[in-house]
Amino acid sequence: MKKKEKTAVKKMSAAAKREQRWGYIMIAPTIIGLLILNIWPFIQTLYTSFCEHLGFGNYKFIGLENYITMFQREDFWKATWNTIYFCILTVPIGLFISLLIAMLLNAKIKGKGFFRTIFFLPMVCAPAAITMVWRWIFNSDYGILNQILGTSINWITDPTFVMIVCGIVAIWSNIGYDAVLMLAGLQNISKTYYEAAEVDGASKLSQFLHITLPMISPTLFVVMIMRLMSAIKVYDLIYMMVEETNPALTSVQSLMYLFYRESFVAGSRGSGAAIVIWTVFLIGIITVIQFIGQKKWVNYDV
Amino acid sequence: MRKRTCILVLLAMTMMLSLTGCGSADGKTHLTFQIWDVAQRDGMQAMCDAYTANVNPNVVIDVQVTSWSEYWTKLEAAAESNTMPDIFWMHTDQILYYSDFGKLADVSHLYDDEDPDFYKKHYSDISISNAQGSDGKMYGVPKDKDNVCLVYNKDIFDKANVAYPDETWTWDDLVSASEKIYDKTGKYGYMAYNDEQLGYHNFVYQAGGCILTEDKTRAGFDQKATQEAVKFYVELQQNDWCPTQKYFAETSPGTAFFSEIGAMFLEGSWNLMSEMKNYPNMVGKWDVAVLPAYPNPKSGNGRATISNGLTYATAAEGKNVDIALDILKYFGSEEAQKIQGKSGAAIPAYEGLEDTWISAFDQFDYKLHLTNVIDQFDYCTQYVNNAARPKWKSNVQDVMTNIYNGKVDIDTGMAEIQKIIDTTTADNLSD
Repeated sequence: MKKKEKTAVKKMSAAAKREQRWGYIMIAPTIIGLLILNIWPFIQTLYTSFCEHLGFGNYKFIGLENYITMFQREDFWKATWNTIYFCILTVPIGLFISLLIAMLLNAKIKGKGFFRTIFFLPMVCAPAAITMVWRWIFNSDYGILNQILGTSINWITDPTFVMIVCGIVAIWSNIGYDAVLMLAGLQNISKTYYEAAEVDGASKLSQFLHITLPMISPTLFVVMIMRLMSAIKVYDLIYMMVEETNPALTSVQSLMYLFYRESFVAGSRGSGAAIVIWTVFLIGIITVIQFIGQKKWVNYDV
Repeated sequence: MRKRTCILVLLAMTMMLSLTGCGSADGKTHLTFQIWDVAQRDGMQAMCDAYTANVNPNVVIDVQVTSWSEYWTKLEAAAESNTMPDIFWMHTDQILYYSDFGKLADVSHLYDDEDPDFYKKHYSDISISNAQGSDGKMYGVPKDKDNVCLVYNKDIFDKANVAYPDETWTWDDLVSASEKIYDKTGKYGYMAYNDEQLGYHNFVYQAGGCILTEDKTRAGFDQKATQEAVKFYVELQQNDWCPTQKYFAETSPGTAFFSEIGAMFLEGSWNLMSEMKNYPNMVGKWDVAVLPAYPNPKSGNGRATISNGLTYATAAEGKNVDIALDILKYFGSEEAQKIQGKSGAAIPAYEGLEDTWISAFDQFDYKLHLTNVIDQFDYCTQYVNNAARPKWKSNVQDVMTNIYNGKVDIDTGMAEIQKIIDTTTADNLSD
């Protein structure tokens, strides 16, 4: 077999060759974009992480020094933990709520289109405007939340609450998008499975556990990977919710926030780059774990 | 090869696109002028228009505003790729960093044809040192000068039956007035928040301490006077009459002041004009006073206020450096500084033009006592600055935050700050 294939390639006709060439040309914009915008900057970042930034793009190679000082820093480990805590807080709950909403939107209810729009709306709004509104809601003096609860909790400035508050806003902003993806997954499940299950007398719960969940697991897996990656890279939301003068900053500062302050506020891009490489490393580990884990629960034979 | 031609065509297209950015239709030279304060845009544009009208009709200058937070990221990136704006504002925090790397044009001899001592004659020593690089040369033309003053709400003082702050006030008066105000009206007194220029730096210099020593190589946090002042300032938040740092994280002192929740805070002179404009309902209800003095000074009168000033600068290797220098020369002249003052944008750095700034406030029914601001220039201190400042500034702020939220006790915190400033400065000098 193999030999045959080889000769087939060799004897490719002129037309096939031309087609192949066009294939390369067609993917060129993506490949060039990837090389220029992703791969090359990544290599540069890797190099920068071994350097000290002297100013205005002048770098001095200092080997592993950035990493050594980084691993000795208390706020670095705190930021790493904050980032992981943010993932634990937002990803499972966010996925669960999105799935729930997707199922409700998939049911036979009136005004389905209206509800779908409502849930998708947070994706359309500018994140800056969203966080502004949430900050008013959580304001300790005038915020509507404290008014309703009759409390005077410092939601945004108390170290125990600030992360939960950021988690709530993150979940709220993402469920619409995730729910739409999952809705698409749900609609791919053939009705015949449910009809058959009903005939056999399966309850709604066991229908969910044995039909819906396995059938939607590929979608769920993709959404989970995406959500985890963006949770590890969280920056804008926290930056806008928690200003640099906020006394609770250390309790909520994520790795990307630390990177921003290191690189752009303090100007030491070398140690900033080291933080980025560490984050990439974290994402890598988590993704590898997920791909190993998916064999256990993701069902691809439909 | 078709692939290669394809790529070549693409390359040619991008090059053409990037080239069409230059050149202009009207045959005049267009220059850009980058600033960060939208409130000063009109004043700056008026100066630029005057340059076109009175000096060089073939040059048109466009003022562009970028927010403070983006300004420095952008300018640094532009400096690396040698595409800096033709003229831009420089801040004392950054001027040493830029000038030490040779990014700014030397303007020391700009006025040599008129008068070699031009700067010394028309600008204060503080204005000049705010414009100098580490080598003592001038890398910017002084633009304005400012200082920090005490802003107070007259209504609240009246209701609490407390006399308005004046030049006899010391720290003790500040505290006792705040107490009375809180007891009688329930409003906050003096709002002491975690800030350098608009906060504890003023108190440190009033007490005779310093943030940086005279030669700027070491921090002064190991001095008794500095420690006393920082302690006094930070511990103000333990009083009922002062909101805590948690409060300030959500509500800035300015917001609290202009919604009549607090009676006093420290404000920079550069904000007074926009506050008069932005809070028309408050006009007449508030005024400015000099900063309270340190009560028991060992020498001097215990007075100080942090004075800063911006400069106009241009890139050392800019495309239009000759024209830009000519414009800078005009911006530093009496005529241009007058235009700036009259627009109310800021107090002109040019000595003797303070009145133009005060006259800009004639448009309001109530006259703020702005002479108090001007009087403070007699005993002001230069804005804290050394070449390593951009590197230690945020680290010191982190420690201050930890002091405020109780993670670090104040003595350990100050020792930490001392160490941060000393080592960063030493590293910077050795590089």
